[in-house]
Amino acid sequence: MPLRHTPALIAALVILLMAALAACQQATLPDSVPGIVDPANLGWPREVEGLNGVVSIPAKPERIITASVGHDEVALALVPGDRLVAVGGATKDGTFSNVAPLVEDKPVITSDPETIIAQSPDVIVTSPFFPPDAIEALTRVGIPVVQTALEHDPEARIDSILFMGYIFGEEERALEFAEEVRQRYDSLVAVTAAQEPKPRVLALTQYSDQIWVAGGNSSEGGVITAAGGINAAEEAGVEGNQTTSLEGVIAMDPEVIIIPQPAAFGADEFRQSLLANEALAETPAVKNGAVHVVESKHFTTLSHWNTRGAEDLARLLWPDAFPEPADAGFSLAE
Amino acid sequence: MRAVGLNTLRGYRRMAVASRLAIGGSVLLLLIAASAAVSLSMGPVGIPASHVGSIVLSFLGLETVPFGRTEQLVIEQIRLPRILVGAVVGVALGVAGATMQGLFRNPMADPGIIGVSAGGAVGAVAAIATGAASLFFLALPLFAFVGAIAATFLVYGIAAAGGRFSMATLLLAGVAVNAFLGAVVSAIIILLPGADALREVLFWLAGGLDSRAWEHVRIAAPPILAGTFVILLMARDLNLLMLGDDEARSMGVHVGTARVVLLSAAALVTGAAVAVSGTIAFVGLVTPHILRLLIGPDHRVLVPMSALGGAVFVTVADTVARTIIQPAEFRVGVLTAFVGAPFFILLLIRNKRQVYSL
Repeated sequence: MPLRHTPALIAALVILLMAALAACQQATLPDSVPGIVDPANLGWPREVEGLNGVVSIPAKPERIITASVGHDEVALALVPGDRLVAVGGATKDGTFSNVAPLVEDKPVITSDPETIIAQSPDVIVTSPFFPPDAIEALTRVGIPVVQTALEHDPEARIDSILFMGYIFGEEERALEFAEEVRQRYDSLVAVTAAQEPKPRVLALTQYSDQIWVAGGNSSEGGVITAAGGINAAEEAGVEGNQTTSLEGVIAMDPEVIIIPQPAAFGADEFRQSLLANEALAETPAVKNGAVHVVESKHFTTLSHWNTRGAEDLARLLWPDAFPEPADAGFSLAE
Repeated sequence: MRAVGLNTLRGYRRMAVASRLAIGGSVLLLLIAASAAVSLSMGPVGIPASHVGSIVLSFLGLETVPFGRTEQLVIEQIRLPRILVGAVVGVALGVAGATMQGLFRNPMADPGIIGVSAGGAVGAVAAIATGAASLFFLALPLFAFVGAIAATFLVYGIAAAGGRFSMATLLLAGVAVNAFLGAVVSAIIILLPGADALREVLFWLAGGLDSRAWEHVRIAAPPILAGTFVILLMARDLNLLMLGDDEARSMGVHVGTARVVLLSAAALVTGAAVAVSGTIAFVGLVTPHILRLLIGPDHRVLVPMSALGGAVFVTVADTVARTIIQPAEFRVGVLTAFVGAPFFILLLIRNKRQVYSL
């Protein structure tokens, strides 16, 4: 080989090596993400395992439907808005959804398969509550449907982001966004974990006559823990979201009560009724006026927006440790 | 001689009724007192029994041992009104069940047969769907009460259309209106925008006594006690109606009027109960039925006993519902069905012969 060709050859080899490295970096998803059948397969078709079994996705989906508010919120962080072709009614409603302004013009789907088929989606990601009959009908017409559960604990939330990124063929963006969510969560917890004494917090809502409390294994409970509080309901043995009574509230003895309930559903009236209730007068939260209405969609949606809820609550619990307001939102896919 | 014999017979019957009332009433009143005492002593906030007793006695100006202000408020503002609401709801459902079973001459009839529960459900669901229930805490019971009474009038209006009333038409109208109102409830549920409202509706439909306060006692007690009083006054007419229209007429009963009054009173008490408790299943069906097996079908005894029995049933069920998973709560309507249905089936199997003869 003539010597004068050597620098060009070396440069070509370096470029090839860098390209290969870049490709490898793009593809590096953790092996432990539940639902990804073969993490090494970054081509198409690819297989994922949802709650409804193993599903093959033939090609990178350009037209996506994610049929729950939480899934829509994650999807909009992973893919450009125009790839999400339709959403459920709740996602368009600012009372329940953190992304309502982003989906104003999108068509609405329901659990009726026809409304979904009409949008010609390449893939559908649904929650566990999506009707099995509808999944069967959509699968029969050849649309891949992946049924997944969104979880409230931080690690499972990261896994959900990576899993959905894999389904959409957006691994790189999923890794980037998961890192953003992880960093935001970790930096919050680094401060809240050091705060003492930790207050006993109770998340209460009232819909007509029923008082609801969020115990262990609830999204509100996860938010309370991340914000540096002790979930008083979890401590009293309540699991999930349960009804309780005013007497139950007294027994749980909270130092702070939060009301993650939309104002349109009477959150302020409920707060006033708690503060005015004579029987609660000796409950520390009521005695000290520590009863707060909080933005419900930051607490109850199963998505990374729970971290924003924890940031909100941390500012209520530890105002000195968080003098600055919380970041408004999260990054979106370009 | 014959007149003296009849009078003697009537005297014996009156004595028999009086003794059954006295014995059954005493037993049930004791059970009510015991269940209320247990219910007052149990709850998520631990209050010693001596303090509970002292708090109750303090209402009469007699305080035996000192107690805390929170303990007093828990008993006075939370447990006592809830127990009273449960008791009057039980009275209503028991009385209405006995009345409907008598009127329809069918031990399987319950107050829901004339659309009162379905009407109450439509009212309640409308209050939840419009958001009125969240903005004013008495909106839901008021909507439910109006719905219950309106549905009853609708069923009765259909049965009485054309100037001729018949119980068969009433029954069929009840079936049709129940189906229609059920569809209205389903339609509203389908159109509800959020999961919270849906959950609220489903929980209301399951029946419960969460957060009952003195206001609910004031809403429910007057119509329930008034309706019960009317039915008690007409218990003899109800007995005669069970013999058939012609027999009742020959015994001096104004059949049409008696039926309207009894139906209206049953609808009134059930509507008031549904308004403050949702649809608590099985009490209206099972209580009179069990008591009929124990004390016979005479409505002069059966109606008051069903009132007391219903009160015991709901009070006990609600105590279990609010303490079994405390500080969370179970739904009393679910519990009454869970407990009532198997118990009822057991009774039916054990007393087949007696049931067939009713």
